[in-house]
Amino acid sequence: MHIVACIKQVPDTTQVKIDPETNTLVRAGVESICNPYDLVAVEAGVRVAEKYGGKVTVITMGPPQADSALRQCLSLGASEAILLSDRAFAGSDTLATSYTLAQAVNKLNATEPVSLVICGKQAIDGDTAQTGPGLATWMDYTQLTYVVEIIEVADGFITVKREVEGGTEVIRGKLPALLTVELELNPVRYATLPELVRSLRQEIKVLGAKDIGGEPERYGLKGSPTSVKQIFAPPPHGGGKVFETASDSDKVIEDFLSTFFEKESSILSEVLSSDGSDHAQEQ
Amino acid sequence: MPKNSKGREIAEIIPAKCIGCERCLAACPVPEAMTMEGGVAIIFPEVCIGCGRCFDACPTEAIIFERVRKKKAAKPEAAGAAEAAASVDGHKGVAVFIEVYQGHGAEVSWELMGKARELADKLGTQVLGFLLGHNVKPVAEEAIAHGCDTVYMADSPAFQVYLSKLYGRAVAKMCQQVKPEILLLGATAMGRDLSGVVATILHAGLTADCTGLDIDMEKRLLLMTRPTFGGSIMATIVCQNQRPQMSTVRPRVMKLPRRDPGRKGEIRTLDLGAQADSLPQVIEFMPKAHEVGGVDITKAPVLVVVGKGACDSRHLPMLEDLARLLGGAVGCSRAVVQAGMLPYVRQVGQTGKTVAPSIYIGVGVSGAVQHLVGMQGSDRIIAINTDPHAPMMQIADYALVGDYLEVVPRLIKGIEARLPSLKGVSS
Amino acid sequence: MKEAFDVAIVGAGPAGTSAACILAGAGVKTILFERGEYPGAKNMSGGVLYGQELARVLPDFAERKLPIERNIIESRLWYLSKEGGYNLGYRDAIFATERKHNVFTVGRARFDRWYAEQARQKGVLVVPGTVVVDLLRDGSGRVTGVVTGRAEGEVTAQVTLLADGVNSPLAALTGFRREVKPEHVALAVKEVIDLPAEVVDQRFGVSGGNGVTTEVLGDIVGGMNGVGVLYTNSASISLCIGANLADFATFKLKPYELIEEFKQHPMVAPLIAGGKSLEYVAHWLPEGGYDTIPRLYGDGYLIAGDSAMLFNAPHREGSNLAMASGRMAAETVIEALERGDCSRKSLADYGERMAQSFVLQDMKKYRGFGPFLHHHKEIFNELPRAATFAGREMITVNGVSKREKQKLIFRNARKETSLLKYLKLLWSGWRAVK
Repeated sequence: MHIVACIKQVPDTTQVKIDPETNTLVRAGVESICNPYDLVAVEAGVRVAEKYGGKVTVITMGPPQADSALRQCLSLGASEAILLSDRAFAGSDTLATSYTLAQAVNKLNATEPVSLVICGKQAIDGDTAQTGPGLATWMDYTQLTYVVEIIEVADGFITVKREVEGGTEVIRGKLPALLTVELELNPVRYATLPELVRSLRQEIKVLGAKDIGGEPERYGLKGSPTSVKQIFAPPPHGGGKVFETASDSDKVIEDFLSTFFEKESSILSEVLSSDGSDHAQEQ
Repeated sequence: MPKNSKGREIAEIIPAKCIGCERCLAACPVPEAMTMEGGVAIIFPEVCIGCGRCFDACPTEAIIFERVRKKKAAKPEAAGAAEAAASVDGHKGVAVFIEVYQGHGAEVSWELMGKARELADKLGTQVLGFLLGHNVKPVAEEAIAHGCDTVYMADSPAFQVYLSKLYGRAVAKMCQQVKPEILLLGATAMGRDLSGVVATILHAGLTADCTGLDIDMEKRLLLMTRPTFGGSIMATIVCQNQRPQMSTVRPRVMKLPRRDPGRKGEIRTLDLGAQADSLPQVIEFMPKAHEVGGVDITKAPVLVVVGKGACDSRHLPMLEDLARLLGGAVGCSRAVVQAGMLPYVRQVGQTGKTVAPSIYIGVGVSGAVQHLVGMQGSDRIIAINTDPHAPMMQIADYALVGDYLEVVPRLIKGIEARLPSLKGVSS
Repeated sequence: MKEAFDVAIVGAGPAGTSAACILAGAGVKTILFERGEYPGAKNMSGGVLYGQELARVLPDFAERKLPIERNIIESRLWYLSKEGGYNLGYRDAIFATERKHNVFTVGRARFDRWYAEQARQKGVLVVPGTVVVDLLRDGSGRVTGVVTGRAEGEVTAQVTLLADGVNSPLAALTGFRREVKPEHVALAVKEVIDLPAEVVDQRFGVSGGNGVTTEVLGDIVGGMNGVGVLYTNSASISLCIGANLADFATFKLKPYELIEEFKQHPMVAPLIAGGKSLEYVAHWLPEGGYDTIPRLYGDGYLIAGDSAMLFNAPHREGSNLAMASGRMAAETVIEALERGDCSRKSLADYGERMAQSFVLQDMKKYRGFGPFLHHHKEIFNELPRAATFAGREMITVNGVSKREKQKLIFRNARKETSLLKYLKLLWSGWRAVK
């Protein structure tokens, strides 16, 4: 079985610091990491391959430096890695990104038919969770999002447990299928030294727009219907009042409560009139 | 203006303003001169030829380039703009996809209906509802009560259970028949699963997790504002040439409109000719106990949120008392879940739940970016922390500097003393 | 792991990577382990490097997109009291032209990453994110490779080079170096202050990517034995201040208090005014000097860089010594491998090379410098006070004759400490560095 894992290199948002003066993120020099959801996806693919036989190919679209994320995936047991890197891909939104990935999967299909594509549920830098469904649609694969357990892969079918509104469902679909996976699906292994060494030495195939074919106007900026019009700083919250409670806590907290109950009386009465199960903003 | 060692004046990136849209990269004629690193564009000064095209392309003034040069005629935004304009024509109306759970419309859909009403009034057009399901006529009527003018309904046993492809194709078909200019969906599990399918079938532009929607009246464009980079920058996104302009919005971001049971509207039934495939097939559904009967932190009007600085289960009862007093619930930051003190369903933030209570009380929550994005919609924020410089203290409306073990008991006492009078007034 | 290597190197800092480059250049099969997620991830230093030594490893470094912050054309030495200080500097245009890259500043996180990448391109297997937890040994005690913290993590090698830094857990664990004593290390804190490149240019009177380094002595470390430095980066300033670890305990001072005070000093404050603090880190420097250097080689292993306590404290040279020792270790190993003998005897050549090079000669020259500073705290207290008095008096124009002022200064200096003590200080200072 040929399994494809799609991954993305993202800025390590846990490392990002806030500038206390301007309240903006200090973004220069932030490290890039492999999107944590995608590592779970690769691990899931390797586990399926180990259980049912097969191999995992990892694909990413990104700048040349994204090869470090691919190598990390190789160290987890993926067999091959493909980097889709081309200036023609620059400026892709989710539609163009999923199209590009679909062209790459199509190319793989031609030589080694793909049964399963696994993506992380979302990338931590954008949180859109749209690339997986987009790719499934371009490929016309069975789409199974928010997977928390892969129950069985057999006879051209896959059964998974997935997270849905208000609970979980067990769902069975036909292969080829595309899964997007939740973090709790499986822990990610700590690579063995031989696997790590293999990942460092292995050649990463770099493909550009010409290599994967497709319609040139669907790539990059041209293929992206959305564009950023402007950016602005979020409106500051409040301009808050500070209460130093260390000196005379009884009095200061009394002061705070007096201010709060006076200034926010409407919010308070609204809150207290609801029985707690109502909608927060119902008026 | 900086120069490289060849003396050429070159462009320079301001990382704090870069949003990683890669437009500069797409415009740069020298393959080795630019790349992306950590989500920010970087320029290699020695390779840069100082042509200034990246400067022209940047939508956010994140590139410094001051050299005087002949300004090239701006190229059209995308190829085939004229052709695309034609496809924009003839699209009218603001549509909302109505999510159905157990026979009822989801609250987020009504919230969107309220927003759609506002947008449609600006545009001088109708609010449309797209409704799929089985025996969902009562839901259609609810939609009208919440501000919808025309509900397009496809009522069929095939739509009894949500399936991505089936629903995706059906909604895409509705769009092709009805031609709305805008389509709004809830950023729920279903809405996120569905919107990607619909947008891809229609080759439409989709902006996820918008916190603000408005109209550019001059160009009749939907202005979709969403936080980016962990909420530190707001980006307004537009979709010039494709219709519908699609957007998802998280629950509790938009205000729920007043329900008007007497409101009049139209229900039109569409036959989409959908056949339920035998696959995929939902074999079993297991409702989650906590979301049926237990605490749902996203619905609490007051949320007392425990952070790392108050991560001590001995004092949890005290915080629960505070929450109960105000009719609220207790949530927590990621560190508290990791410490095993509270379950994951109580986690607020990027990897947990998005909340927007009327009153948010952060106890020992430092306010990491990932947490802030999950609670920024709160009406009033009270923060209790020993460190006055903690980010949460900076954004709080009321920042109480001190040890929560000192502060919280006094708060409880003070609130208890005040409650009777307040309840007396409000009831 | 089944695969065997000629050489295993622990630590991808300047010492380990220099060795790796030279070994790979000679076709030696080399594996280089780094515990950080990438080389440089765990690194910090004042960030000064020396072109001459780097060129001996990578002659074409300038063409390899070396990430230089600023090329240093002026070195300043400050002698400060709490309120003021003396400034002695030397600037020369030759350092911007003919002798460019004599000294330059780098961001170590970026530099180390770049340096390891050069090694990788030369054929070294650079393995990041992997901790070496122990050494492999045969029955005779000879080192035969390393044990990493990963599964199937043993790697055999004919020679192992320990270059894992001053707080090398490995050296302590394996007994190759004595446990580091507090008085043999300095605790230094560094803060990087963000400023636009033009502002740095203006404040230091430089342009075109050139910069200035400043070494700071005197009463800036709360009376402890310590120094500060101030380096220009392309769009930031690195401030570093450190003191003997044992002194920190005795004086009950906190490192961040030192750097806060340093930042407010009238000679420092205007240079960093308006800048934002980008990062704040602390690290150790091996300043025990010549007498704390362990045996540099044994059966199947060598030690280089900070692991070997190679640091020239008076000149603040560390990375230089690390690179040179790594290079010499590699040269020794290449010959030993050719001989097919990696025993202690065969590797003894390393000790020989080191002894004849500037590395050990400089270390030896300043052998007494550490103890000298340690025993003469007046250098950090009374002396700067007397010097300040002198400076102020000579510069203040108030009708008092210069001859009278000299008398005053002399009297004040005598008040601070006795004449005999000054003479002793001079004498032992001379002996410490002669």
